[in-house]
Amino acid sequence: MNISYYKAVKAERLKLKRSPVWLAFFALPMISAFFGTMNYKMNLGILKSEWFSLWSQHSLFLCYFFMPALIGTYCSYLWRLEHTHHNWNSFLTAPIPRFSLYLGKLTQAVQMAVLGNLWIFLLFYVCGRFAGIQSPFPAVAAEWFVCGVLGTVVICCVQLLLSLIIRSFAIPIGIALLGGILGLMITNRDHGLDYPYSIYCMGMRANNPDMTIDIPALVTNSLGYIFIFSFLTILYLHRKEIAAN
Amino acid sequence: MPKQNLVETHNLTKQYGSVRCVSSVNMQVPPGAVYGFLGPNGAGKSTTLKMILGLARPTDGTITLFGTPVNEHNRIKLLAQTGSLIESPSYYGHLTGEENLRIVQTLKGCSAKDIDEVLRIVRLDAARQKLVNHYSLGMKQRLGLAAALLGFPRLLILDEPTNGLDPAGIQEMRELIRSLPDAYGMTILVSSHLLGEIDQMADHVGIIRKGELVYQNALESLHSHAKSQIALRVSHTAIAMDLLRQDGIDISQEEDYLLFPMMDDSYVANLCRRLIAQNISLYRIEKREKSLEDIFLSLTGKETSL
Repeated sequence: MNISYYKAVKAERLKLKRSPVWLAFFALPMISAFFGTMNYKMNLGILKSEWFSLWSQHSLFLCYFFMPALIGTYCSYLWRLEHTHHNWNSFLTAPIPRFSLYLGKLTQAVQMAVLGNLWIFLLFYVCGRFAGIQSPFPAVAAEWFVCGVLGTVVICCVQLLLSLIIRSFAIPIGIALLGGILGLMITNRDHGLDYPYSIYCMGMRANNPDMTIDIPALVTNSLGYIFIFSFLTILYLHRKEIAAN
Repeated sequence: MPKQNLVETHNLTKQYGSVRCVSSVNMQVPPGAVYGFLGPNGAGKSTTLKMILGLARPTDGTITLFGTPVNEHNRIKLLAQTGSLIESPSYYGHLTGEENLRIVQTLKGCSAKDIDEVLRIVRLDAARQKLVNHYSLGMKQRLGLAAALLGFPRLLILDEPTNGLDPAGIQEMRELIRSLPDAYGMTILVSSHLLGEIDQMADHVGIIRKGELVYQNALESLHSHAKSQIALRVSHTAIAMDLLRQDGIDISQEEDYLLFPMMDDSYVANLCRRLIAQNISLYRIEKREKSLEDIFLSLTGKETSL
């Protein structure tokens, strides 16, 4: 399995050469950070908690709207590579177990999501300094990051399943966007940890850095969703048939 | 002791809903053969090949590759010895030809040197750095064949590999396929809806019609079915027929013509004299060849398009 996994990851990396899709992960957090910082600077009268206040402005749109859609776009792109030009034929006749083929895709999606999160926190730090915050960078941000990464893996798993089943590029992205919006409503009703799209926002303490969350529940629910959606994707891949033209 | 077939199917069947696309196919591909899998469009060729490759699940029947019955546990091991090009070539258009082959080489785990070799075989060395989106259809088809050849597998499964090629490309592809068993010890299973193409490439043939394998044997054997006949049109068909039957000749009637097996010239000359002696007018006497096309059509049904 290990060799197959390595081959699958390497092949996926080769496929992504010259793909501009990563630019979205670079650009959208910048837009969010720019407007979040401007908002923070213009409302210093009421936003007095420095890093925490700045984070509330940075994270709201990013976590609820941008990140699920970004991950959705990336996952749609990963499967679009196989949905076009008869690539299912070569993808499924490669001498690699379908389980490993899925893990190859998941690894790419998670890798990009982790890099995206790192970029978000780097922007947060730079913008904080730019906004004149002198206090030390909050150590709790490390916890937000780790919980956030776990949340993004959940979204990756959901979106990989959707984009595998739905050939359209845009529909899964639309579902991700709706999922994020619905996540905001569900979080407001205190069920955020039960819903795959809002675990990320809860972990990142989006819009509410003072929020206390049940970490064991977040980890358990995340692992549960990762297992369920990965299982369904692998099952679908095993059952997938390529009909004659 | 007979050599073991590389591909064997037993009662292989595929049903989509109420439609039976492939029905109890018993295919046998001997080692080192170029097995032409021939049939009209929609006869079930691609579906059969997809079942062999694990891209479609059989409704019934079994598949044996390299003497081993295929199951979920050994599928990967058997696929590693197989190369395939199904329907249309698979490719990632934003990558170069070489990068596409690099992906396949990585997944197959074969030597990187194979990329140079297969590019040379399909004559794409000069275009290796070009994006595949800028390739012509023929170049994409050759790239697909190159990908199938990577690792020089024991079995190559090619589904209509000359589709979309120009006449020169078609001829080149046929010659290339024909050369592979001798050059690399491969066995080729190649499908086509063109009898002439299979006739040029294959040494074994399987003919499929409406999902059923209606003929399977060495191509030579199919050729032996091709035979010449003499066709005769006369003024009094019944009398002429009696005359021929008295000579013990196996005769049949097709429209206004009497058909009988090829005879030597002296018998035909003598027959003409006897017919004229009985005041029977001789309108036509023709030699008719029963071509491979006729045999193919009689096996696949004249109503189907080629």
